[in-house]
Amino acid sequence: MSELRTTASRDGFRVGSPEFDSVGPIAFSPDGVLFVADNVRAEIVAVDLSEDERDATVAQITSLDGRIAAFVGCACEDIAIRDLAVHPLSRAVFLSVMRGAGDGAVPLLVRIAGNGTLSVAECGNVGYARATIDDAPAVDDERQEKYGQYGIPIYHRVVAKGDTAGEDYDVPDFGITLRIARESLRTTTVTDLAFVDGELLVTGASCEEFVSTLRRIPFPFRDEAHASKLEIYHVNHGKYETYAPVRTFAAYGGASGILASYTCTPIVHFPVAELADGAHVVGRTVAELGGANTPLDIVTFTRDDVEYVLVSNTRLPVLKIDGRDIDAQEGLSEPRQPRGVPREELPYHGVSCMAVVDGQVLMLQRDDAGFHLRSCSTASL
Amino acid sequence: MALLPSEFVGRADGWQPLAGSFHEQDGDAWFAPRFPLVAGLSYSLLIDGVEVARVEVPALPLTPTTEVLSIHPTAGELPLNLLRIYVSFSASMSEGYAARAVSVRRVDTGERLDGVLLQMEPELWNSSRQRLTLLLEPGRIKRGLVPNAEAGYPLTEGVPVAVVVDSSFRDATGAPLLAPAERRYRIGPAIRARVDPFAWRLTVPAVGSEAALVAAGDRPLDRAILQRCVVVFDTDTAPVPGEVSVEQGDRAWRFEPSSPWKAGRHTLRVDARLEDVAGNSVRRVFDRDLDLPEDEPLDIDHVNVPFTIL
Repeated sequence: MSELRTTASRDGFRVGSPEFDSVGPIAFSPDGVLFVADNVRAEIVAVDLSEDERDATVAQITSLDGRIAAFVGCACEDIAIRDLAVHPLSRAVFLSVMRGAGDGAVPLLVRIAGNGTLSVAECGNVGYARATIDDAPAVDDERQEKYGQYGIPIYHRVVAKGDTAGEDYDVPDFGITLRIARESLRTTTVTDLAFVDGELLVTGASCEEFVSTLRRIPFPFRDEAHASKLEIYHVNHGKYETYAPVRTFAAYGGASGILASYTCTPIVHFPVAELADGAHVVGRTVAELGGANTPLDIVTFTRDDVEYVLVSNTRLPVLKIDGRDIDAQEGLSEPRQPRGVPREELPYHGVSCMAVVDGQVLMLQRDDAGFHLRSCSTASL
Repeated sequence: MALLPSEFVGRADGWQPLAGSFHEQDGDAWFAPRFPLVAGLSYSLLIDGVEVARVEVPALPLTPTTEVLSIHPTAGELPLNLLRIYVSFSASMSEGYAARAVSVRRVDTGERLDGVLLQMEPELWNSSRQRLTLLLEPGRIKRGLVPNAEAGYPLTEGVPVAVVVDSSFRDATGAPLLAPAERRYRIGPAIRARVDPFAWRLTVPAVGSEAALVAAGDRPLDRAILQRCVVVFDTDTAPVPGEVSVEQGDRAWRFEPSSPWKAGRHTLRVDARLEDVAGNSVRRVFDRDLDLPEDEPLDIDHVNVPFTIL
């Protein structure tokens, strides 16, 4: 086990044991705060891991899913590796992993030391903070609409007295107390997050409206009013303006922009400055990666002062794109070959999560034998 | 001494064994696992790498009790550019089964149509994990994208399909479903126009009655959003209490007041986020043609449809 502790206090953090119902996308801030999306709780938990012991980044591990399963005591098929991030200070690799499903599911943060030793991060006495990403407002949120003669907050319903799902609600002006429960509606599922220029950017998909929302959450977390939600659009071949949930994204151009890919294949560039001003932001579609394929992860690296972008995919191998081509690419206006910026297919198939650290690209790669952690130097790409 | 799930014995050379700690007391050694052992799995005790004992953790008896309550939309005919399907279950479910256990099939041949449903990870569930949202491959629905140009729409006009939920879908206890479920649809032309509440046919009840107010539109609407996006306001602009239901194949919104209707001008307040089953909302068309000025998005939060109780 890896006992994680925090001694320094941090603005807005409490020290204790953050609980998770699930672990999904993860990302680090440059000073070692790990952001963990808990989609079951509709929360993002910031965990202060700035004191994680200095280590090295592991280069390769075969049968990673099997090793984790053996270590945490389950069948290989019960391990779902959700995301990967490298600690910017300690250089250790962290994975968000779910063991099992349903009521028996166990969320795990797995730390991999430089020598390949696995440990499960025990957040027993650690600084942490939470931000909610649920769209449904809390019962005592005064900004929300109410309905009915008793003024029940919208997205809530009256349940039987004593119902464990509900909470007591004193009805203003009527002198009575009702038991009300929040409707189980409108949860947002976080698809990706990244710490960009002092803010946490979060993309998600709704289980109802087909929205394309980018949340900007200032850090340290404040109250919800400080978070902003933007709707982002893209134009397909100059003719159709549309939107979709963002599947994955990465900061680009020294945090001056982001590159986002959708549930519907295009890669779209948004200048961060424009994301600040409007609710309706239209990005520039720079590439389409082809049908029956979905981008899974985007990372960038710089070599000889040129920024390159790597995109992992469901069907295609890892693609390398030269940032100069992205900068020069006008918004796609016609469906034609090549579809946007030139891209080079790299010999890495079955890659899902990626991370870049110290001139190495770390990749979670799947083949018939399972999942493996592999790396290659950016100089070789 | 070390423990391993038995499936790894013989291929775990150099792997770390099961996390936990050995203790010894009165000549007995016992092992406290860091994580609960898994029912139905067997674990092996290794001494110097050699298996010396095997322990089976009894499987839990899993009696199926969960069923599919509904598959939405409920309309008999859906547009070619259908965007979203909901499957509701009678109990909380396990994640990770949607791609395996839900399929879209041709009614005539039974052929499973691959590439229709988006393989979404993470899966989209409501907070009680009882309602699964499935998206149809958006890249194939949107005009002007390569998948649409190359592979066409996920569905084919005139070719009926069935949405099939296999009983292998596991609930939160790990048990399969009581029975499989399916719903069949005819496929009609695409819908690419904003939802227009002003064009709805209103059945307006008489004053003093407790009859239902019904608003019927021209197309199936998203049931989940419809149930929370329409509110009746009375003459004093206070919300009217009552029960909402959705009927006529998700085309109609029905409201039964909890007290008799009062005379006067009322308003149906429709949130502009209301979508039809193809993702067109009151505010905008799903993938709008920039050359069509009539499809410009509306900069509104809601629309108010007036009606009068006489």
